[in-house]
Amino acid sequence: MQKLIVAFFALFLLGTTAHAQKYFTRDAKVKFSSETPMEKIEALNKSGTCVLDVATGKMEWKVLIKGFLFEKALMQEHFNENYMESSSFPNAQFKGQITNLSEINFTQDGKYNVKTTGKMTIHGVERDVNIEGTLKVSKGTLEVLSNFVIKPEDYKIAIPSLVKDNIAKEIKVVVSTTLAPLKS
Amino acid sequence: MKKQTILYVLLAAVLVGGIVGYQLWNKPHQDIAAAKTDVAVDATALYNEYNTDENAANAKYLDKVVAITGKVKDASKDADGAVKVNLDAGSEMGVVACELSPFAKHARTEFQPGEQVTFKGKCTGLNLDVVFVECVESK
Repeated sequence: MQKLIVAFFALFLLGTTAHAQKYFTRDAKVKFSSETPMEKIEALNKSGTCVLDVATGKMEWKVLIKGFLFEKALMQEHFNENYMESSSFPNAQFKGQITNLSEINFTQDGKYNVKTTGKMTIHGVERDVNIEGTLKVSKGTLEVLSNFVIKPEDYKIAIPSLVKDNIAKEIKVVVSTTLAPLKS
Repeated sequence: MKKQTILYVLLAAVLVGGIVGYQLWNKPHQDIAAAKTDVAVDATALYNEYNTDENAANAKYLDKVVAITGKVKDASKDADGAVKVNLDAGSEMGVVACELSPFAKHARTEFQPGEQVTFKGKCTGLNLDVVFVECVESK
């Protein structure tokens, strides 16, 4: 009988620890910039989403293309209509997996380097990518920061030759956010 | 004399072209407050439309000036002072998120949970939430 009770509690504990804990945000900031001697272009989106399952290291990020705001209305228009074709391809996403999960203690405050691998989809083109970033565990929340580079040609984003000197070959992207536990 | 006339005409053309180009380049963002509302909808109804048929909803709302009415679920201000108001969409998870426009002046930036509001803004589509940008409060 005692054994049964122990087994029951062991199972119960296992059940709770194995229960996937998820972290979430709907306020991820995604900023990109293109710098050339001719021109500096910047845009910011403040409503990216991320769901991270810390038990498995799986993560999903998604951002709506029309939500990128530019200082210049004309740039925003060209970005949506000519380059990103955002009516046909309304979002960009990254579905990935943390590859160094064992090096991260999600319950211990501190800063950790995070390595991920996964699939990035932009402009309807899916590519395998490896993206790195940092994760700061602080009082039960996760502060995420990642810098990476996107090449427009990799995602079949055509830049007209007339403006090819105005738009960088490599677009710098910065993603920053704080993930909070998802109550389920 | 004839050569001079041609020169003046050319100069004038370049000048006009330059001004038009410069104005186009510095074209302001659409004045949402003054813009005509294309479609008015309730937050819950909109959210349900999106979750029933995203493509149909996109066809109906993307790039339109939408007047969206709902009950404030929560509101937040980020480090840059940008305000986002989440409207209740009758769902546990999703909301209708309204980012106040950084290109417009706002009569107020404080919103209390439970109050009924109407924003005019541009629909950007469905993420987990339906997200609106360039919003201004509509009276």
